[in-house]
Amino acid sequence: MPFLDMKGVTKEYKLGKTIVRALRGLDLEIRSGEIVAIMGPSGSGKSTLMHILGALDTPTDGSATIDGQNLQELKERQLVTLRGKRVGFVFQTFNLIQTLSAQRNVELPMIFQGVRRSARARRARELLEKVGLADRVRHKPSELSGGERQRVAIARALANDPEIILADEPTGNLDTETGGPILALLKELSVRDGKTVILVTHDPDAAAIADRIIRLRDGCVSTAGRHVGEEAEASSPHDSAEGGGDSRA
Amino acid sequence: MRKLLDFLQLAGQSIMHRRLRSWLTVIGVFIGITAVVALISIGLGLDRTIKEQVAGVFGVDTFVILDEDTFGSDSHGGTAEEYALDLDLLRSIEGVKVAAALREHNGYVEGGIDEEGNRIPGIFPVMGLSPELMTEFESFTGDLELMPGGRLFEPGDVEVAVLDYEVAQRLGVEVGDTILVAGDGSAELNLEIIGIMAPAEEEADSGAGFGVRFSTSSEGDTISVPYDTMELLWGPADDVLVTLVKTESGYDVDEVADRAEETLKERGSDITAVTYNDISEAIGTVTSTVSAFLAGIAGISLLVGGVGVMNTMFTSVLERTKEIGVMKAVGAKNVHVWTIFLIESGLMGLVGGIVGTVLGLGLSALASVFIGRFFDVELIVVASPALIIITLLGSFALGALAGLWPAWRASKLPVVDALRYE
Repeated sequence: MPFLDMKGVTKEYKLGKTIVRALRGLDLEIRSGEIVAIMGPSGSGKSTLMHILGALDTPTDGSATIDGQNLQELKERQLVTLRGKRVGFVFQTFNLIQTLSAQRNVELPMIFQGVRRSARARRARELLEKVGLADRVRHKPSELSGGERQRVAIARALANDPEIILADEPTGNLDTETGGPILALLKELSVRDGKTVILVTHDPDAAAIADRIIRLRDGCVSTAGRHVGEEAEASSPHDSAEGGGDSRA
Repeated sequence: MRKLLDFLQLAGQSIMHRRLRSWLTVIGVFIGITAVVALISIGLGLDRTIKEQVAGVFGVDTFVILDEDTFGSDSHGGTAEEYALDLDLLRSIEGVKVAAALREHNGYVEGGIDEEGNRIPGIFPVMGLSPELMTEFESFTGDLELMPGGRLFEPGDVEVAVLDYEVAQRLGVEVGDTILVAGDGSAELNLEIIGIMAPAEEEADSGAGFGVRFSTSSEGDTISVPYDTMELLWGPADDVLVTLVKTESGYDVDEVADRAEETLKERGSDITAVTYNDISEAIGTVTSTVSAFLAGIAGISLLVGGVGVMNTMFTSVLERTKEIGVMKAVGAKNVHVWTIFLIESGLMGLVGGIVGTVLGLGLSALASVFIGRFFDVELIVVASPALIIITLLGSFALGALAGLWPAWRASKLPVVDALRYE
């Protein structure tokens, strides 16, 4: 059974009086330990897919399971536990809490899980060391460079030792020089630590580290393949136009 | 509990990060708290000062008998009404050690000889005083200051009088002279003047220490005679203004007072026996009503402070929407977010409370000095631990209450929307 399994997933949003269909009957399987890049133009449903994969959101229709747990059948409390313990997020804009030091930012997910102070501090320092920031533990985000901030965010994503790392444009705000090591770090998490890494990106260089690339268009998987340019055509009922999701009033 | 400490730290760091805004919010809270603490504290100080003064005059073993209407809800501004009294009966009641009364009657008086050879006449209030008033109840009478060469009553004195300075001037008499006082019917007595009181201005500070004036007149135009002399002039006492009673040691003053009241009422005296506890209770009612009223007015500024906290918290929730989204994405439950925001607003209230309490107590100490100088009393400064604890808890509660709604809004933010917020 795939670790992450989506079958006929549909997600609709209400924007004012308009209903936006961000995902339209999407099918997707991701195995444990895989590193997968999800690519696609703006509005193709990448972020929505990531939110569902990360248990931040639930499908309107279809089924989405994480390690056999169907998201629609989980209560809010269980969803919180799931994303707190089994999923780690890395965002394009880092989303660190400005008032907290690097170490405290990394401790944050552990605080919500009730991990003891000493154990928490030790683990945070270990993780910061792992991402190469052993000498930056006391620095606030404003005192760190973009690359360093993203490393802190990766350390934070690893805090509760999750099986899934969801990275949304992790190099989107970084130049090639700083982005490279970040991608290497994510690759290492998959190869060495067996994490399932899902990379949402526009950047072909970022997608190059993936075992598999999934292209979205209009809320469906359009193509999937092992490397950039090698994707096989996937049968899709909605591969008409690029751009925003289908809208109906 | 472990999480609470962490949330407290997170909230504290957030407050420190927005230092200027947090302080401005705290100022809004502490102005109100300062006013409330100062007013309540001054009220408590006033209450204790008055009670201690009354206790100083009264002592724990003494009670006062007044006309029923003089003390209590039917009081006529503190001027004593007359009542009938059987002083011997009162003295025979179990537990009564000393009883001394004061009665007053207007009388026709003739004094010295004028230029035409006639005695100078006048109508003056004549006051009968038990000699025990001067010996056993000095705290009530104060230091009675006489002109040189005079003396006060002693036991056994009958046909003697002590004149107020004004009266002596008007009647043209001195110590050693005689005045004629006419009573009911044909009763009249020639009384030897044994003392003349010092002029009123000079004894202003040493007047009766008790709140009810002994005399119905306040002009310093009274003739004082021994209590028993009054009976010779006007018969049995039906014009008593006040009676003071000291109880035997080992007797409960309230019980003796109740017994005396009951016995005298059975004899037809419309009186009430007032103990220190009765007065203390009456004072307490007045001072606590006044300070509650003032504190209530000051409380309005607390409301304004609370609205300030709420406003700050709403702004904070809005500008930290993304942060809330991140916290939820990394595993925060709604209740965690709610608690962090609630602690944050509560902390601002608490800091306001601490600053307000310190300033309020300082202000009340300062006010005590000014009030004390103005009214010439030593006002006690009260820093009641109960007041401090209630204020601190209350200010935290005020902050938390003001933060309830914003915190609820923060906790209910959908995580996906919060993460998308720009």
